Amino acid sequence: MNKAKVLKLAKGFRGRAKNCIRIARERVEKALQYSYRDRRNKKRDMRSLWIQRINAGTRIHSVNYGNFTHGLMKENIQLNRKVLSELSMHEPHSFKALVDISRNAFPGNKNVVHAPRKVAVPLSV
Amino acid sequence: MAILCALAASSSPSAIFAPANCNPSVSPLSSKGSVAGLSFPLSKPVAATVVGQRGFAVRCQKDLSVVPLDQRWMFEESEVDGPDIWNNTWYPKARDHVNTDKQWYIVDATDKILGRLASTIAIYIRGKNLATYTPSVDMGAFVIVVNAEKVAVSGKKRTQKLYRRHSGRPGGMKVETFDQLQQRIPERIIEHAVRGMLPKGRLGRALFNHLKVYKGPEHPHDAQKPIELPIRDKRIQKQT
Repeated sequence: MNKAKVLKLAKGFRGRAKNCIRIARERVEKALQYSYRDRRNKKRDMRSLWIQRINAGTRIHSVNYGNFTHGLMKENIQLNRKVLSELSMHEPHSFKALVDISRNAFPGNKNVVHAPRKVAVPLSV
Repeated sequence: MAILCALAASSSPSAIFAPANCNPSVSPLSSKGSVAGLSFPLSKPVAATVVGQRGFAVRCQKDLSVVPLDQRWMFEESEVDGPDIWNNTWYPKARDHVNTDKQWYIVDATDKILGRLASTIAIYIRGKNLATYTPSVDMGAFVIVVNAEKVAVSGKKRTQKLYRRHSGRPGGMKVETFDQLQQRIPERIIEHAVRGMLPKGRLGRALFNHLKVYKGPEHPHDAQKPIELPIRDKRIQKQT
């Protein structure tokens, strides 16, 4: 009975792991561990994807993600990253409006101190 | 935000999206003198390619939400208003990344710093400049590089930067300098640089095929109508 359940969970595995119970049992245990861990990782990965998409969407309008988020926080706009990424893809005008709001609230850091440039070496021709 | 969406879309699928979240934003908006969103022209004609993807509709322009009455029986109750875009993260379908619909870019490598150029190219090939970026799918564009033999490097790299390869046999390491490789096969320099900046794996190898490097100013891709690659790096041009 348990063998049947394990083999059912082992469908799609490579090689003997889908057929032979001894190998399948190990692989299925590992697979279940991975799925437990990844249910938690998925939340992190999704948020990271939303942030990357928002970053790309705001950089089209010459604002980066950090300044955009700071501006939104200053205006107390509590839209979450999932919704912001969907807006940047599906509702570009509304998203541009948000970027403009953020830019008005936080125009960007003008007092950035860049690291001193290295001594200029004469470029080889 | 609900006001913005309702105004921007005639039939607003985006009105489904929770107004509860937007209420805090409405009061700062209305308390300001100028409301940025409401000053949008409502009937602005928009190509569906605002984000540069064909076959990828801007939802507020196109009425995608309503299922025609005669087809309602095919859909579940939860899907009858169209796919739920606000609670599920969008994942591209096959028609969203057809190779024939992708953008082509062209860049002239004359007197551009090698690494900075390669970095910009890799970003466009991978698709990280698009709001529809997906790491597991090839959403990027094609990039053509011309005048590859004129790419520049700073400092003494021209004579000191080494390119190594190994044949697999003992003692089979071959080393050449930037200069020698540029005399021999100039395209390989840019290819090597960009390959190092693309992800390594099956998808990365497929992405690498979207880079086309040519030695002179000519390229055979006029039919794809490539446009100029927008470069935002200020230090990419060699200082003379």
